Order: sequence, then C-alpha cells, then structure tokens
Amino acid sequence: MNILKLLADLAEVDPTLYDRLSSRRAAFAPLSQLGRKAALAALPLALGTAIMPAQARDIRTILDSLNLALILEYLESEFYARALGLVAGAPSVPAGFFPAGTRPAIETIYRHEQQHVRFMERVIQASGGTLPTKPRFDFTGSKNGAQPAVFADVFTNFDTFLQVAQTLEDAGVRAYKGQVGFLQTDNSLLEAALRIHSVEARHASHIRSMRRARGANVKNWVSASDTSIAVPGKTDAVYASEDLVNQFMAGLRQVPFDQAPLNTVVAVAKVAEAFDEPIPASTATSLVSIFTY
Amino acid sequence: MDTKSTSLSRLFSARPVLRRTFFRVAGATAASSALVLAGCDKEDETPEVTPEQAFTLGTGDTGLLNYVYLLEQLEAAFYDKVVATPPADMPSTELAYFTDIRDHEVIHREFFKFALGTSAIGTAVFNFSSFTLTTRAGVLAAAQTLEDLGVAAYNGAGKLFTDPVYLGIAGKIASVEARHAALVRDLVQPNSFATADVVVNDGSALDGLDAAKTPAQVIAVVNTFLNITISAASLPA
Repeated sequence: MNILKLLADLAEVDPTLYDRLSSRRAAFAPLSQLGRKAALAALPLALGTAIMPAQARDIRTILDSLNLALILEYLESEFYARALGLVAGAPSVPAGFFPAGTRPAIETIYRHEQQHVRFMERVIQASGGTLPTKPRFDFTGSKNGAQPAVFADVFTNFDTFLQVAQTLEDAGVRAYKGQVGFLQTDNSLLEAALRIHSVEARHASHIRSMRRARGANVKNWVSASDTSIAVPGKTDAVYASEDLVNQFMAGLRQVPFDQAPLNTVVAVAKVAEAFDEPIPASTATSLVSIFTY
Repeated sequence: MDTKSTSLSRLFSARPVLRRTFFRVAGATAASSALVLAGCDKEDETPEVTPEQAFTLGTGDTGLLNYVYLLEQLEAAFYDKVVATPPADMPSTELAYFTDIRDHEVIHREFFKFALGTSAIGTAVFNFSSFTLTTRAGVLAAAQTLEDLGVAAYNGAGKLFTDPVYLGIAGKIASVEARHAALVRDLVQPNSFATADVVVNDGSALDGLDAAKTPAQVIAVVNTFLNITISAASLPA
C-alpha cells in the first residue's frame, strides 16, 4: 500500500486529517520508549483512529484488553508473591514448603509476572487510561471465608500450590490468546501481548514439568491424557474446549485433520495438543473471580 | 517491492537443477503446487535471473503462511530425523517427548500446507550437518535452537498477518512452541525455561517479554539449513 498517496487522498476528503494524526501521534509518544521500531509500528493505530470520525472511535476495546491483562498479571504476581513470603500481612507458608531446588523457578516466574504488571500499567497510563483497582485476592477460593474453600491448602501443600499455578498459567495463556485479535490495530501492543503470551506458556510448561517430577500424570502441553485438575463448577473452564480437532483457515474453512488424506499423515489424537485454544474475556474474568473477593 | 522477487516461471526455467534439489516432488498435485513458490504482483518488474537470486515465498498473508510453513517443515524434518534415529544415550522418556513434539510439528506443517493449497511452496530438503545428532546433548541443543527460533518467529509474525484467523492460528501454535521450548530448555539445563537469553531481563521497558524476530532474521537462520537461499524480501515487514 502506498501510505503517502493514501494519506494525500484522505486529506483531500478530510482536511483535518493531518491535525488529528499528529495529535494522535503525540498521544502515543510514550510508546516511543519501546524503541523506534515499536513507535513506527504504533503508527497504523494512530492512522486508523485519525481516519475514523471521533464519535466512531472505540479505544475501549484495546483498553479493555489491557485492563484484563493487567488484572490477570496482578492475580499471578500476587499468587507467587504470597508463596514466596513477599506480601506484608499475609500469612507465610510453612518452613519447608518449597522442596529442595524448586524455589528458584518460582522466583523467576514471579519476577516475570511483576514485569508484566509494570509493562501493562505503563502502557495503560501512557495511553491515557486509568489503572483498574487491584482486586483483593483469596487463593483458597473461599472469598475470605464467606464460602467453603476450593483450594484450602494452596499455601501449605506444595502439590496444591502447583495445581493452582498450572491452572493460572494455562488460563493466562488462553486469556492472552483471546485478546490478541482486539489488538490487531496496534502492532506494538499486539507484538508485546504475543511476547508476554509465550512467556506464560513457558511458565505453564515448567510448572507442568515440576508436577510431573512429583509424580503427576501431566504433559507439558494441554493433553487429553493429563489427569484432570479442573474443579467442576469452578475451574473447569480453564480446560474446556481445549480438545478441539477442528481448526480453521481463512474464510473459516475447516482443516479436516480427521479425514483422508490428512488423517493418514498426522497423528489425529495429538491435533488437540498441537493447538492451544483461546478463551474470551468473560471466561477469563469469571476465572479470576474465583480467587478474588 | 524488492527487485529480487522473481517471476516463478523464469526462476524455475533458469534453475532446473535447484528446483529438483529443493523440491522433492511427490506427485502431480505436489508438482504443480511446487511451481507456485511465490506470487508475483502485477506491478513487479520482470527481473533478470541470475545465480545469486533467492527464492521468494510470496507476498501478504500467503507469503507469511509459506514462511511459517517452511519453519514447520524445518522443525518436523528435524524431529522426524531424531525420532527415526535417536542418539543412543537418549532415555526413552525423552524420546517420548520428542515423538509428541514431532507429531505436533507435523500437524502444524500440514495445517499450513492445507491452508495454502496451490499457493504452497514445495517440500524443502534440510541439511542438519551443523548439528550433532548422534548425542543426547547435541539433539537437545539443536532442539532448543529450533524451538526458541519458532517462538520468536511467531511472536514477530503475528502483527504482520492481515487476516485475523491467521493471527489467531499463530497464537494457538506459538504457545505450543513455547511449551516445547521450555521443556527442551529444562532438559538442557534445569530451570532455564525462560532465562534472559530468551526473555528480556535487562531493566528496560521490555522486561518480561519473550524474543521476537522478523521474518528476515528467521529466514537467515533457516537458510543455514538449506542448500539454496530463500529471500524474505517479498514478505510483509
């Protein structure tokens, strides 16, 4: 596409375009901290929103996605911080909670979640958004004692802790995946979200390795052969619809893995493992609510 | 568009030998699809064909799909080789992991091949002689290189897709590649699943973000496993 010609044509139709474009660019100046390439990549968003008349603009979609991401990162960050004894006022885990050699990995994961929190906070504020209120968390799922706990021993039993960790990481991977489509008009945010998304997947894989080392029947990827850790009516949405064999190409045409000739080339039973599925924001939000009050 | 982009009919007529070495043509359908290595926009000037010219993958989403198709071909070919002739010192538990990963990569490869239809590039022949595939350590090191490359490739390609369906597919596959990468890295070195060589941790604004590579950066690596040169010049950037 010839961007300059497009701009010239649009400016003929709408003489205020250049003004609005430059003001949009100014509004996104903080993103230039991400580097020149990222700042250039942000231009299509500035262009898109400048072309649209003011009343048709909808930046809520992107901000909603970022807010959801931040809430998820608050959740994960707080979860590991409590296990590591870094939350003032929260009960500390018992001595020996971390079996030998397991604490460094949890510290690494916690550091990433903290970094993701800071990244999202910075981007939201730089874009003129207001930070969402950090929720109050109860990782037992008892809503601060208002109802029976779902994970009563989450911070006293390392296996329960790892189950919740896997639940949060797998859910995080799916939640980011569900939001990237809403970021497609902003290349820098889209790329950042994908880069965080794959870090969450690395975490999920490592937590799964930790569980397997402790005897759990679980692969590093979501598999039908995993022994389920979903709590019915609570966390089952984390793994619902992860067993899809139906994948689609452009025009939503199905790729028929389970039919000839593809089923003679691929291991049909592993198709579901080979693709992680997204969850919509509503599912992610209801999963978060299990751990908030 | 870069003048290196080459009209396919000319490229193939000028390089029959390379065509045969690059494309293992399995049948009539594959043969005709192999001829469609890259689309060529009407605006393109017809360049001269010289021995230095690189193969191209096409433009737009089709080019990107061929790009990730090539990447998945590379991964699938690597794991096929490992699973077929595993190193003697690789334990069976690890061979089972690699069999799963091989199956995933074949599924990814076939997804893109199907989605591309007649626009798909042919089957590439890879040369893994730069790896040491006779030892467990050599296989793990090679797998780590390829998995980290795959993660970075999808992270960099996502924003280049126009069709949201393919952005979605890139996301669905990227996290599975990241799961592979973390497993392989932990086998190489415990707790190295997300160390600073892949996840930024330098005090910058990008802390906590995984690597992302442009198609040009990734293709440069892929080319080291090929006896021909692929150009990323026609791809979105």
